[in-house]
Amino acid sequence: QHKQISGVSSGCQQGGCLTCSDYNGCLSCKPRFFMHLERIGMKQIGVCMTSCPPGFYGTRSPERNTCTKCRLECDSCFNKNFCTRCRAGFYLHLGKCQENCPEGLVRSDTQRECV
Amino acid sequence: RPALRAVIKVTLLKNEPMGKPITLEGLFVGGSAGYAEGKLMQYHPLSLCNTSEDERQESDFITIVKLEHRVRPCLPLLDKARMALDKGAQAVIFDVSDDANAAAELREIDSLPRPVVLVEAEDAEELMGLVNKNEEAKVRIEIMVEQSKWPHYDV
Amino acid sequence: GWIQDKQGPMMPLCPTPCQCEKDGIFVMVDCSELGLSSVPANLSPLTTYLDLSMNNISEIQPRAFHRLHLLSELRISGNQLRYISGHALQGLHNLKVLMLQNNQLERLPDDAPWDLPNLLSLRLDANLLSEVPAGTFRGVRSLRHLWLDDNSLTTIPVTALDSLPSLQAMTLALNQITHIPDYAFTNLTALVVLHLHNNQIQSMGERCFEGLHSLETLDLNYNDLKEFPVAIRTLSKLQELGFHNNNIKAIPERAFVGNPQLQTIHFYENPIQFVGKSAFQFLPKLHTLSLNGATQIQEFPDLKGTTSLEILTLTRAGLSTLPLDLCEQLPRLRVLELSHNQIEDLPSFYHCSALQEIGLQHNQIRRIESQTFQQLTSLRALDLSWNMIEWIHADAFTSLHSLIKLDLTENHLSSVPVAGLGSLTHLKLRGNTNLYEAFSPDNFPRMRVIEMPYAYQCCVYGSCESYKPSNQWDTEQSNTDEDLHKRTVAMYPIHAESHYDPDLEEFQMEIEESKLQTSVQCTPTPGPFRPCDSLL
Repeated sequence: QHKQISGVSSGCQQGGCLTCSDYNGCLSCKPRFFMHLERIGMKQIGVCMTSCPPGFYGTRSPERNTCTKCRLECDSCFNKNFCTRCRAGFYLHLGKCQENCPEGLVRSDTQRECV
Repeated sequence: RPALRAVIKVTLLKNEPMGKPITLEGLFVGGSAGYAEGKLMQYHPLSLCNTSEDERQESDFITIVKLEHRVRPCLPLLDKARMALDKGAQAVIFDVSDDANAAAELREIDSLPRPVVLVEAEDAEELMGLVNKNEEAKVRIEIMVEQSKWPHYDV
Repeated sequence: GWIQDKQGPMMPLCPTPCQCEKDGIFVMVDCSELGLSSVPANLSPLTTYLDLSMNNISEIQPRAFHRLHLLSELRISGNQLRYISGHALQGLHNLKVLMLQNNQLERLPDDAPWDLPNLLSLRLDANLLSEVPAGTFRGVRSLRHLWLDDNSLTTIPVTALDSLPSLQAMTLALNQITHIPDYAFTNLTALVVLHLHNNQIQSMGERCFEGLHSLETLDLNYNDLKEFPVAIRTLSKLQELGFHNNNIKAIPERAFVGNPQLQTIHFYENPIQFVGKSAFQFLPKLHTLSLNGATQIQEFPDLKGTTSLEILTLTRAGLSTLPLDLCEQLPRLRVLELSHNQIEDLPSFYHCSALQEIGLQHNQIRRIESQTFQQLTSLRALDLSWNMIEWIHADAFTSLHSLIKLDLTENHLSSVPVAGLGSLTHLKLRGNTNLYEAFSPDNFPRMRVIEMPYAYQCCVYGSCESYKPSNQWDTEQSNTDEDLHKRTVAMYPIHAESHYDPDLEEFQMEIEESKLQTSVQCTPTPGPFRPCDSLL
């Protein structure tokens, strides 16, 4: 529902791009930007952004910042093992997206959470 | 061991089945000469740096990677080739037009399970041109067989 | 500007040059990367999503969002904001996600904090914050996810974190924190994930993690810890622990007694010398344990109760013996890597039926008994190189049906039993100077790479058919590989003009088959000074 990609424009004119090529898009990003490898049909280009797209989380390190895929059942996540929003049909509880909720909690379809 | 040349036949999916294939050439790396077929899929050089779960392709695909010396080196080219094959590629095509020492790095390689081909100059430009225009294409890789100038006569 | 409506006519109130998209009665507004220097004025009250990222906004004018009561997500990342007062965010009662990363924030509000009662995610990463005032988070009590990484914090903002009872995930990574005081996170009872990697943490209070009853992931990688973090003892729910790339020299006895749920522990790149024998006991969910270079380890660790271990790496230590009941303790072991120790005798690995890889290179093993590797039907790789093996029982390999790689380089073997080695593709025997036997290819139908002590032993692999006795040596020098080379050059004149021969199929099959037959790479390859006939 939200915008697919924030903080980015395609091609080499992006704000976050440090080095770029016509075929591969961004080859490296400016400091503190995340490098995301985005697939558009048969193409895969590098994109530099301030926050990773839905379904990916950002990992910062002194050398580089990269976007990594969340688990399949997550729409968004804090890290590999901690989801912040679930895909339809899954319900969030303490960072886990499950099809059922623990005892004492019920499934909320609007929030996709155990409440 | 001799480096065998590859024939790369490219058919645009939109022109199938009647479309006449574009025939290009490349060089098989080490002992990886062989036959392969699949949809052309570009991979960014950085996508071959770690085994993060790249999206899984449904059908058979052939990876093409444009190597650029400005990309931070993360793995030897052989490991990148293996990683591309591990991701399910039927074969890997490296465009080495902008990475002079790539070819040298891969010359003495033997143990590749499926074809790895180097392309450059016009052949590379033609392939990457298709990619840039997102022209979905099917690629067949074969070993180039040429009739030598003087056929073998038992003289 | 007008709002693009998926179904109906355009709606007013889309600030130019932004792009808007209707979602039912609500509207999502994208003003990213437009060179804006301030927040657009006429935003619709029905805005639920507003993206102002990657602009040149250096200040948020008071009451900029005061009508946006329904706004759920606000992105202002990638701008030049230095400070955002509490008043600037007034009216955002429904805000759930606030992204302020990649700005120049130097200060956060204290006395009049942001009033965002429903905020769940707050991104403050990649700014210039050197401290977090005590009252900053008083107005965001529902917060679950907090990013403070890549700032200039030198201490843990203990007081500010005191009022976040719902916080579940937090990163303070990539700062300059040097110490974690006792009770630093006392009230964070819901915290599940805590990232502290890439700081300069040298010390921690023994009670610094008190209160973190729900913590499952603790990342202390890339710090300057000199002592083992005993403070983890209170983390009964801990599943994933990382303290690799630190300065820790010892892992004490019963180190993880308080963490029975541990599944992974990463502690490589530490100068670990000593490991308590009981350090890794009773970790029923641990599946990987790797210790390299802990030279003071003399005895194999007692792994009682650590029954799910699949990968055990214990190299460059001082082990001389292995427990006889090793496999009873570790029934699920898949990879056992014990290279560079002083092991002399081997127990039977009989009960380790899941073993796929064994690395015992660079030890002092002398004999291989019949039952040592019995029933290891899944074993694929066995490295016994650089030992002192003189004798291998005839039945030692009989049940290794899946073995494809066997390395016996640099031992003292005079014979090698071949029974059971039919699946080998790689066999290495170099350096066994008393081993003269030429093994028939029939023993190894799938062989691809074989290394022998002497060149003549490669002749059975057809590597030297055309090496005639020395007097004809100079005139007809070629070997099978070269034969292939000649035929290939004739067929592939690389720089010749390319006539492509359409009738390929049959020829390519021939190439494939010929590659298989002559592809056994046997070394050392016979040559002028390594003739086929044994000099002896």
